[in-house]
Amino acid sequence: MPTSTAKTGAAIRLTGVTKHFAGSATAAVHPTDLAIEAGEIHGIIGFSGAGKSTLLRLVNLLERPDAGLVEVGDDELSALPPLALRAARRRIGMIFQQFNLLHNLSVAENVAFPLRIAGDSPASIKARVAECLDYVGLSAKAAAYPGQLSGGQKQRVAIARALAPNPGVLLADEPTSALDPRTTQSILDVLADINQRFGVTVLLVTHEMSVVRRLCHRVSVMDEGRIVEQIDLRTGFTAPRSELARWLFASGEASPAEATQPATVAAATSAPATAPANTSAAVPANAAARAIVVTPANAPFREVYHA
Amino acid sequence: MLENLLELTPDIITAIGETFFMLGICLTTAVTLGGALGIAVYLTAPGNPLARYRRFNLTADAIINVVRSFPFIILLVALSPFTRYIVGTSIGPLAASVPLSCAAIPYFARLVEQTLRDVPRGVIEAAEAMGASPWQIVWRVLLVDGRSGLILSTTVLAVSFLSYSAIAGVVGGGGIGDLAIRYGYYRFQTDIMAAMVVLLVVLVQLIQTTGQYLARRADKR
Ligand SMILES: Nc1ncnc2c1ncn2[C@@H]1O[C@H](COP(=O)(O)OP(=O)(O)O)[C@@H](O)[C@H]1O
Ligand SMILES: [Mg+2]
Repeated sequence: MPTSTAKTGAAIRLTGVTKHFAGSATAAVHPTDLAIEAGEIHGIIGFSGAGKSTLLRLVNLLERPDAGLVEVGDDELSALPPLALRAARRRIGMIFQQFNLLHNLSVAENVAFPLRIAGDSPASIKARVAECLDYVGLSAKAAAYPGQLSGGQKQRVAIARALAPNPGVLLADEPTSALDPRTTQSILDVLADINQRFGVTVLLVTHEMSVVRRLCHRVSVMDEGRIVEQIDLRTGFTAPRSELARWLFASGEASPAEATQPATVAAATSAPATAPANTSAAVPANAAARAIVVTPANAPFREVYHA
Repeated sequence: MLENLLELTPDIITAIGETFFMLGICLTTAVTLGGALGIAVYLTAPGNPLARYRRFNLTADAIINVVRSFPFIILLVALSPFTRYIVGTSIGPLAASVPLSCAAIPYFARLVEQTLRDVPRGVIEAAEAMGASPWQIVWRVLLVDGRSGLILSTTVLAVSFLSYSAIAGVVGGGGIGDLAIRYGYYRFQTDIMAAMVVLLVVLVQLIQTTGQYLARRADKR
């Protein structure tokens, strides 16, 4: 497997992981290695059924691998007993295509959820929830219920909920696939900012090449349970070798020629001011920073929904 | 008719009291024990957080089916030695509460299990991904996002067992159904029987309306 990552410094490392669902003819994930650098935004792209979600869910052990090693930060997750695994999962945020908010909890209660189950004090929970809601620009909706929000707002709440416990890693399973193009852009902006500002490592599953182009530092192309190619979008452009990667890069709204300059594409399609042109940057300088501190002054998304 | 009813007012009040007594005991045991059993069966079903306890799931599932397949009147008779062992007699509202509870526990367990299946899988997975324990998933996810369905399940339970309590009454349990049979059937006072039926209809309406109101209020969707 081609990867440029050194043995140390990987935020996520999968070694030889496999997953075969009972009753299925072939494995959902064939033996796979994947190393994600700390501070990286890494995409997993491929067609429906390629095994992308399964691979992502192996990272926080929502799916148990049949074989192989799952390491996140300093933890070897696949070797942890249940209690330690739950503690480790608190350091890994996750967002979903269908948002998966609790319908009967208010926005603020949803964001408080991971802090409550971790047993934080009510005072610190209250402060942290306010901080995170402010960051995603939804302070005004704290008392609303998810059913009263738009899709984009629901995903912001889910992001605030994922960020609340200060995760080092964020897993995202098709986070914009249920959203319209404009809302998609604003959610991608938030994800880029989380990465840039707080150094959160992001592993993102998508079937849309445009999402990869706008957000990712690197991408793994997945087909029939295997990573067939890895492409680095920062170091200029290495021509896709696999047929699938060539097809992916040629389709969509951008031509392969444009894709050779990901920074330009990102800048051209991003919303002004709030969007960091992360595709042009290497891994953010503050990749080591872990504490996500948001003050009203640096909350970039407040205006979006108030406007 | 009115004379008859007035004459029997003390009996009617006693009968209502007995019905509520039987229903109270049977609903309490069903909601606590049956509810816990239903949650346990749900959690241990394939694909759910405690799916590794497959043996428990199969056993509990089979027991629920067996008890539920007994016609209630037969369960009533079959359990009478057990009833006598527990409360010392097989006659009266307290004795009738034993078979009522035994039928209500698996009945409610099944309702709870099916209601919880409506809680979206993704929400439970999100909680697991955040590091929630199975216990926390029960209290903070299932009982929160499933609560309006659970209220409706409890309503169905209460309505069903109001009518079961009338059957239990026949075997010396007392209550509204017993009164209706004693006067309406054995003494041919059809007016009393009709009045008791009306009373039961009103009670069912009351339970149903209250349940639906509470369920609607609990649902923030
Ligand atoms: N829980 C499961 N049980 C059985 N098969 C599954 C399960 N989850 C996924 N699969 C199968 O594994 C394959 C990969 O699925 P998935 O990882 O969801 O693909 P993708 O996210 O790329 O669309 C598919 O064939 C799918 O049907
Ligand atoms: Mg998927």
